[in-house]
Amino acid sequence: MFNPRLTKDPLEKRLKLRRLRVMSGFSPDLFREKAVAVGSHLNLIYFWDKKWFYVAMLVGTLMLQLPLPDGLSQEGLVVLTMSVVATILFVTEPVPLPTVALMIICAQVLLLGIDSTNVAKSLMTDSVLFIMGSLMLAVAVVKQKLDKRIAWWLVRITGTRTSRICFGISVTSGLLASFIGEHTVAAMMLPVGITLITLTSDDPKKVRNLAAVLLLSIAYGCSIAGIGTPSGGARNAIMIGYWKEFFFDPTNSETYRFIIDYMKWMMFAYPIFLLQLPFVTFILFKTFRPEYQDMSRAVVKLRAQVEKEGAMKRADWMAIFLFFLILIGWITVSSNIGMGTVAVLGASAFLIAGLVRWEDINSGVNWGVVLLYAAAISLGVEMKNSGAALWVAEHFLALLAPLGADEGFGLWAAVSVLTTIVTNTMSNGAAVAVLGPIVLKVAVAAQESPIIIGFITAISSAFAYLTVVGTPACTIVYASGYLKTTDFLNVGWKMVLFSTILMLLIAMVYWPFLGV
Amino acid sequence: MSKITKTMTEQETRKDRFRILVSIDGSEEAYQSLRYAAKMGNGVDADIVLLYVRPIDQGLRSGGLQVRIARENMLDWGLELPGIKYLKKGYEILLDMGAAGDDWHEHNYHSNVDGDPLGDNKIEYINKEGKVIVLKLKVATDIATGILEQWELGPYDLIILGASGRSRGIAKNLWNPAVAEKVATHAQCSVLVARELDIGHGHLICTDGSEKSLETVRKDAYLASRCECPVSIISVALDVESKEEAKTFVETARKELAAMDIEVVNAIACVGTPVDKIIDAGTDYSVIVLSDSGKKGLKRLLLGSVATKVLQEAYTSVMVVR
Repeated sequence: MFNPRLTKDPLEKRLKLRRLRVMSGFSPDLFREKAVAVGSHLNLIYFWDKKWFYVAMLVGTLMLQLPLPDGLSQEGLVVLTMSVVATILFVTEPVPLPTVALMIICAQVLLLGIDSTNVAKSLMTDSVLFIMGSLMLAVAVVKQKLDKRIAWWLVRITGTRTSRICFGISVTSGLLASFIGEHTVAAMMLPVGITLITLTSDDPKKVRNLAAVLLLSIAYGCSIAGIGTPSGGARNAIMIGYWKEFFFDPTNSETYRFIIDYMKWMMFAYPIFLLQLPFVTFILFKTFRPEYQDMSRAVVKLRAQVEKEGAMKRADWMAIFLFFLILIGWITVSSNIGMGTVAVLGASAFLIAGLVRWEDINSGVNWGVVLLYAAAISLGVEMKNSGAALWVAEHFLALLAPLGADEGFGLWAAVSVLTTIVTNTMSNGAAVAVLGPIVLKVAVAAQESPIIIGFITAISSAFAYLTVVGTPACTIVYASGYLKTTDFLNVGWKMVLFSTILMLLIAMVYWPFLGV
Repeated sequence: MSKITKTMTEQETRKDRFRILVSIDGSEEAYQSLRYAAKMGNGVDADIVLLYVRPIDQGLRSGGLQVRIARENMLDWGLELPGIKYLKKGYEILLDMGAAGDDWHEHNYHSNVDGDPLGDNKIEYINKEGKVIVLKLKVATDIATGILEQWELGPYDLIILGASGRSRGIAKNLWNPAVAEKVATHAQCSVLVARELDIGHGHLICTDGSEKSLETVRKDAYLASRCECPVSIISVALDVESKEEAKTFVETARKELAAMDIEVVNAIACVGTPVDKIIDAGTDYSVIVLSDSGKKGLKRLLLGSVATKVLQEAYTSVMVVR
């Protein structure tokens, strides 16, 4: 293929181009001068990139100057300002997100005058411990390389039809994710999905729709499952923490119903996940219409690939055994010793058994997230203590009253829509941490059950199907490079609509039987 | 220390070479602009760098579990990073066109990037005469930043990238510029934003008589003669009275080109709104060539320029020359 004509020019032409280069001002020295010129307006670009940070600070300063509104204490105004500023920063991300957490901690001491030891204490709760422990567990579980085993079982059961494979992937991802968290399962199942795609065709263009269906089956399968059990996601643990913090009073036996344990949560939320499952595959197939209806070639190759792994090893059995032990721990004893304790216990068990190295855990967990949730929850509790949450809740209700949405079903729908909007712009855990105190106070002010409103918020926070950043599972499958951001939008709105309707139906028809 | 001197001398030798950076994203548009780049960079004194920018794998968005865990798992299954396929396809296109050869030397490089397990990777192909073709897989927070960072490593004479769709409204562009606009605004070298870039129809250079635009004329003369494209000139007068003035601008530019031994195909002087006239006239050409506005800093940010508007609204490819 070597074509000398293009790489060896006649000398004459070469000289002419050379002369033109000098004449036209592409002279060598220009580069240096220009490199200096970059510096002079680099500052401005730097400033512009961080514009939202300055906007947030400006909004904060202005809010603090406002005259005190009726019914809000000075403390409440400060906390409210902090929440607004933090929300702007969460959504626009001009600075690394853990910075926001650090700022919240500092502001609590500097602006609210709370003793720094007390602020530090408010950072660690069982919910935060749970988030930390389950992230460590997530790394440990992914590192067991059980994904090849799972893939093997999967294709044996589903056969070779694309629709059945996709449904199988959603079910497997979902069932696993409902217990060990969506990010864990998304990281495990992603290679299975991509392997199936690349084995079908090498050209990404020929398998665009197939890739979308397969990968989104993983992402949405994981996302809808995250609500199933308290250990499915950080947001669930945060909501459980809020219920306890807001309403539980050890001296009053009436308030014991606000302690939601593992089984109780599952009774509320698991049916929603199970009902959603078949619709995920249906909606994805209606939207993307994959190029291949049958994937026998890919499946045969995948089978050959995973069979190389050989029989299950002792370490594999050990990992599965530990996994079930943790699960049993969550179901049976977590209401006594806390979900966080069980998660941390599980992580230690994996480390003690030598199934995972600390270095892997250390580099696999983004500790900034732990910090972020800690600060967000601490701010949420402060929202309650200062009365800011109640004040916002009352105004929110007054706003909804003309629409007839200040009570009953209308209020449920309004809370769900609000949560869906917020969760699509920031991570779902942060959405629950920010909105939780407000919606729980809304429930109190509207004389609705805080449990129902809390569940609606926690479950709606999973409806972040629209954006890549909405849920961990979406972010992880997006890293494959096969999906476009518009793919999430195209199918996501259908998922949001369907999920919202399903949840509200369940809330209306099924939850009353559970006695709330 | 030795590493710094090495890169210094490397950059020193690069100055004499014509270096093109082509951003590849797997779209047909990108491959079409690669073909154009191959034609423009066909001499032995030209290097072509194919760049694919991959978003950095970060864990804040993935719920605290680092994406690297998923990535390591994928590599464990023997799966490639995204982008490698696109770069390879680009290289095959160059091979087909004869712009690269099978007998070139191949070098692989890897550099670490904070926060990403795999970092930047590049494959460099060099022929006996020193012509270089590079496939680079780069990690960056976003695509525009990646392209601009790559320029700093260069430097390059020309960046070619696909347009990100037509006009999305001024407010939106100012607040959150699309990749092409961001690169065209911030890059320190000429930027060609490709829209159905074909080779045949020549360059249309815009001039307003300023020294800056004459510099553009001279520079584009060089670029156009690299791809052996015919050159035309346009100057737009705001009102009828100054039409004569526009004519003289065109004439000056023509003389400038004549001095460089280049023939002008069409010389247009017309009256109207510059942006609209340039866009209308531009439909007959492959590329509209404009100079970067003289505005600096905040003024540029707020007022924009003819160049930016044409860039956003034109139907053909647009090149901003610096």
